[in-house]
Formats: sequence, structure tokens, C-alpha cells
Amino acid sequence: MALHEINYQLLIENPKKIRKEWAHIGVVGSGDLEVLMERKDLNGAVQVKVVTPVTGFDFIWNRVLESFITENQLGDLLIEINDNNATPIVVSIRLAQALAEANRVEEEEI
Amino acid sequence: MLNWEELQESSFLESNARERAKGLVDKGSFVELLNPRDRFHSPHLPVLGEAIALDDGIVVGIGKIGIRPVFVISQEGRFIGGSLGEVSGAKMAYTIKLGLETLERIKEKYPESWEERRPTVVISFETGGVRLHEANAGLLAHAEVMDIIQDARKKIPIISLIGSKLGCFGGMGFVAAATDVIIMSEFGRLGLTGPEVIEQEMGKDEFDASNRAMVYRTTGGRHKYILGDSNYLVQDKINAFREKIQEVVHLPFDQIEQYRRIGSLQNVLQQMELINEALEINPNDAIDVWGFYGNENPETLLDLSFDQFMQKAVRREIR
Repeated sequence: MALHEINYQLLIENPKKIRKEWAHIGVVGSGDLEVLMERKDLNGAVQVKVVTPVTGFDFIWNRVLESFITENQLGDLLIEINDNNATPIVVSIRLAQALAEANRVEEEEI
Repeated sequence: MLNWEELQESSFLESNARERAKGLVDKGSFVELLNPRDRFHSPHLPVLGEAIALDDGIVVGIGKIGIRPVFVISQEGRFIGGSLGEVSGAKMAYTIKLGLETLERIKEKYPESWEERRPTVVISFETGGVRLHEANAGLLAHAEVMDIIQDARKKIPIISLIGSKLGCFGGMGFVAAATDVIIMSEFGRLGLTGPEVIEQEMGKDEFDASNRAMVYRTTGGRHKYILGDSNYLVQDKINAFREKIQEVVHLPFDQIEQYRRIGSLQNVLQQMELINEALEINPNDAIDVWGFYGNENPETLLDLSFDQFMQKAVRREIR
């Protein structure tokens, strides 16, 4: 009955760090999720923690996360996800939005 | 997230709690306290297997309007119906408390000019009340917030904003009524018992929750404005709410006191008067009430645009 936690770690070649120190996006509504990304020294790896009420779909989470991390060549990054029954496509969209936020150039910098 | 300028033109209704909080104060001034990175979530929900949120469904922080500090509390309705639990309740209560402490520090530092630096608290409600998963802790949080609102009376103004999708119901309806000023949009809804609960308890003949038009006529911003439960009615833009707050923060306390719904003998007598009027009108619909307060052909108010409504609507006079 307790919440299900998935921990996932991946190290790819030539990883890139996110621009900002941290970023957050999304609301844990029904069928939705929130994503927190934090720059962290992990020897180039990406560490992911997913907290979700859903069990039995760990392999799908792993596939979605793997393709996201490899496609965007991410590294030295901590990703935390609080999920409330989101579908894989929603997860992908929110991850992409979080990354866009994490790499956004703030107005003050221009 | 949208930038500040984009937020100003955004619909208040369709924005999320964090966007509202950022857009309600001066550009670039909003600093979130206990932000998602602090991971200050509910300890009760994981035990029950319920999804958690890093901010526990409430955004609190501090911003500025001119030289005045503004403490912003903004509820997120999409997380468990914006319900107030132990953590979200503590965040709400202690943000108001922080406002009071800030007032004391400002008085010390600026003994001459503290009044023009007086802090303000702004609460954007989007909630059905207590979080049933944490019932007792959530109810205590309601009581604590109301207690601190009383402490803040005549010291710092507390402004309620209601223009979200869920509106403000349940125990939080009481909390909103206990604040100094209420600003609503026509999409905002305010009440104690929510429409579905009334239907469940009293039957469909008494209150048909599937009749959306009737629900908005009875609990919506236009009705609450005519009745005086809402002090101001604004358009559904973050900008519109921000401009109204800007106006209210400068008001002297004598005037703010007149906006209150509870807290004095005069207020109690006014509320009793309202009950007498309700008996006199014996209304079948909110439209009957509008007619009683001097609106000719009250049903025509329904289809007016915002501007036309503001020109035409006759409000209940507070005696």
C-alpha cells in the first residue's frame, strides 16, 4: 500500500550538464506529475528517483528515462519525479519541459 | 514557466499556483519559501499509498508591491483538490505569522515611515477545504490559520483572491470569510458546503450539482459581488487581480475594517439582517435575490459582459 519508489541510474558517453542549478515543472494532479532537476556531481551519471502509487511498470519507466537521458545526452544530474498515474507520453512531455526550463536563459543574463 | 509579462495577460483561472504567485507581485520580486527543492512534503500520504507533491500543493513566498513586502500564499487545486493538510496548513499559517514578524521589524527599523512599508498577506484560494487523509491535522491547521488571521487584525491586511477553477469551499470558505478583503473574478466560486455535497445530503430537488449555470449563479463571483460577500469583482487576468491588490494595500485600516464580514458586533448584526432578508425573499434562485436588491429584470444580468455587468449591477447596501 505504501508508495512505490523506483531508483534508476545511467551513465552515458560525453554527457552535458544542465544550465541552471535546478528547475521544477508540473503539478501532481490526477494523471500528471512533477519533475525536479538538480545539477549534482555524480561523476557524469544521471540519478533518477520516481515516487508513484503505481506498481508493475518499472520496465516502462526505465525505457522512458533511458531514451530521455540518451537523446539529450544528460549527465551530473539528479531527477526526482512525483507521479500520480501519468501515462508514458505525459511523462516524456513533462521531462522535456523540465529540461527546457533547466536550460532556459533568464532575462537578466541577456 | 511563462515570464512575468506573459503571466500578466494570462487567465488567472487557467494558471497554476506558482504562476499566480509570481505574477501577483512586482516583476522579478517573488521569492518562494520552502520551494520544491526543500522537499517539504506530507509525511502522511506515503503511508496511505497516495501521491505526494514536493510543495504539498501550496506555494508560499514573499514579493514586493512598491516598497511594501507582500506575503503570497497560493493553493494548487490539481493536487488532491487543493486540500489543506498538516504541511500545507503550516506553510499557510506561518507565512501569515512571518508577515506579522516582518511588521514588527519594519516598525523598529523605520519608526517614522513604517506605515508606508506595512506588509500585506495575499491568499489565493483553490480548495475544497480539509484534506481528509490527514483529517485532524488538517482541521487543526484551519483553526491555526484563523487564529493567526485574528492576530493580524488591524496590523497587516489579509486579502483573499478567489478566481480559480475549484473556487473556495469547505473549511477554507470560513477562512476566506475571516480575512479582511475578498477579491473575486466571475469564475471564482465561494461557499461552505460544496454543490455536490449539498446534493448528496439534501437531494437533487434542493440543489442540482449537475446544473452548472445554477451552481455559478449561486456560488459564483457575480452573485457574491451583488450580495457583498465579495468586496471587489475583477476580470479573469492575473494583471486584474494584481492591480486590485495594489489598490488595497494602500488603504487605511478604518476602511479595511469596513470590508470585513466577521469580528465585530456591527458585523454580527449585519449578518443577522441578511438572515431576515433571506426569510423575506424566500428565494428559489439567486435571481430572486438580485431582484430584491433593486436590479430590474435581474435575469438579464446573466448574459451581460463583465463591463456591462459592473455598470448595471445593483449591490446589496450594507447598513
